[in-house]
Amino acid sequence: MIIPGRGEPVMVQGMTGTYGRLHTKLMLQYGTKVAAGVTPGKGGQAVEGVPVYDTVAEAMEKTGARASVCFVPAEYTYSAGKEALDAGVTLLVLITEHVPVRDELRLVQLAQTRGATIIGPNCPGIIVPSQKVKMGIMPAPSFSPGKVALFSRSGTLTYEIAGQLTAAGYGQSVAVGVGGDPINGSTPIEWMDFLQNDPGTDVVVAVGEIGGDAEERLARHIKKSGYGKPIVSYVAGRHAPKEKKMGHAGAIIYGDFGTADSKIRAFTDAGVKVARTPMEVPSLVRQSL
Amino acid sequence: MRLFEYQAKELFKEYGLSVPKSIRADTVDGAVEAFGKLAPPVAIKSQVLAGGRGKAGGIAIVSDAASVRSEAERIFGLSIGGEKPGVLLLEEAYPHDSEMYLSVTLDRGERSFVVIAAKAGGVEVESLSGKVIRKIPIDGIDEKFAAGVAEDLKLPPRQAEQHARILLSLERLAREKECELAEINPLAVGKDGTLVPLDAKVIVDDNALFRHPEFAKLHPEDELEGEASRQGFAFVRLGGDIAVVGNGAGLVLSTLDLVGDAGGTPACFLDLGGGAQQDRVEAALRLVNRLPGVRRILVNIYGGITRSTDVAAGIRAVLAEGGKPLYARVSGADEEEARKLLVGTRAKLYRTAPEAVEAVVKGQ
Repeated sequence: MIIPGRGEPVMVQGMTGTYGRLHTKLMLQYGTKVAAGVTPGKGGQAVEGVPVYDTVAEAMEKTGARASVCFVPAEYTYSAGKEALDAGVTLLVLITEHVPVRDELRLVQLAQTRGATIIGPNCPGIIVPSQKVKMGIMPAPSFSPGKVALFSRSGTLTYEIAGQLTAAGYGQSVAVGVGGDPINGSTPIEWMDFLQNDPGTDVVVAVGEIGGDAEERLARHIKKSGYGKPIVSYVAGRHAPKEKKMGHAGAIIYGDFGTADSKIRAFTDAGVKVARTPMEVPSLVRQSL
Repeated sequence: MRLFEYQAKELFKEYGLSVPKSIRADTVDGAVEAFGKLAPPVAIKSQVLAGGRGKAGGIAIVSDAASVRSEAERIFGLSIGGEKPGVLLLEEAYPHDSEMYLSVTLDRGERSFVVIAAKAGGVEVESLSGKVIRKIPIDGIDEKFAAGVAEDLKLPPRQAEQHARILLSLERLAREKECELAEINPLAVGKDGTLVPLDAKVIVDDNALFRHPEFAKLHPEDELEGEASRQGFAFVRLGGDIAVVGNGAGLVLSTLDLVGDAGGTPACFLDLGGGAQQDRVEAALRLVNRLPGVRRILVNIYGGITRSTDVAAGIRAVLAEGGKPLYARVSGADEEEARKLLVGTRAKLYRTAPEAVEAVVKGQ
């Protein structure tokens, strides 16, 4: 697992689009060293004073950036992601929503063979407040440096819970959106293992939602591995109907598979505290410390 | 996108999977007419997407024209999981000795497509025993793979050969049409040992639909749902009286939970999606204003890729046109500017989601 460090150069794929431009500006304001943009055919332009190149390889050669935040539309995310991984990008953050599942599987497989980390797709990215670096779209004021790690399948719930933690005086060591799709470039279990060994993290907040069995798998993993740090969780969708896709491609209950109750039971069974609402998270964090 | 059985079976035929002879009927008269063209006994099957169709009485086996009419009338009027069929499928019944299970599906945890096969089918996949599960390589399976599955199931030679052929077709269908699930349950074993798919369940990856224009017209489109999807937001009708609108699926889900816990009943889930601008916010609010049964609107926004000021401007514009009482919690990026935009409008503003939820549920 690779996370961004202070002052490391970052490239933005799809920089010249509306959101590429906006978030290039916001990332720069936060402190991320955005060194290059990539948009095929737009090489030579600049956004916020950052040079745009035609290819990832060129951007990497000119700036040394080995990390990329990708805003490329879903139809082209696979080819953009493949270009980045082929060129040697080691940390690829895919913000884009609506990427086909088979494209995601191919990218995951490619990243595994290259030893690269993918975050997302369909996620807000990653932020490390103490390093003044964010690769993504999260609103900076919700986050503050501290010892609570946070990962979530939902972008806005990440902001909401980070904001609650910040207001209660609990800053974050790292906050990452694993993505709202059925396939995650890096999984909750991988993040959990990474955070176990992260000296900056004292407590982990795991935010889940209906659909799939990532939370159940995570709970079994926590139980089996005898996780060494306190964990607080929250699961959205207790009142969600079955057989309906609730916004995220991954947020759907089939029959009795993927219900919030099943996930809450699994966490409880693994000794993980479960908040009933996002607002309860800070008090459970307090109890854990 | 989940296909109806009759649509899935058309797809099966396209991929060389033999299914019993069937005719779709849109009316009771159509059902009677279709019956005349089929060899009885005939199964009349409700075409709904909800599960548990058989148990709910959505399937009838009929042998004479008189009972076709009464059963077709009954099934057209039968609501299963809140859903009434617009179409019936009349299908020649297939006499069989036993039922198997076969599917190609996405295993999210393994991050791979898998084959799930079992010798005993006809029940939900979770309750199958003796399941064979094999990961599918990203470029698909070959004959050796398919034969291996039949071998693991310990099928007799003639069945094994048919099973492998069916699996190859099903996997090719799932891969080429980019399905999250292609399921045959049951796969009937006939008196003479012939394997025949009796039901067909296909879920196409919504995100891959841009590569599959052939699916574009398959669903009879709900007017509001169609409008929502054209606008690029996720919309689910829930039947209550409080329209719940927000940005981000997780945030809207958690808002539904808050509303439910406070004793309210959501009318809908509406996720504006990432980066909604003013025009999309306006379209969303106009849409929920038109949704039957809505008495109040709850907007819960936490700005990120969506700018709170865009949302506030959208709220302002729609409130200026009239519409249902609106309760808003706007937070995150540009929060203070967004709040300023809403001062002097009819929007009731709250700092936290629980406050907004309490107010909207009580109707204060």
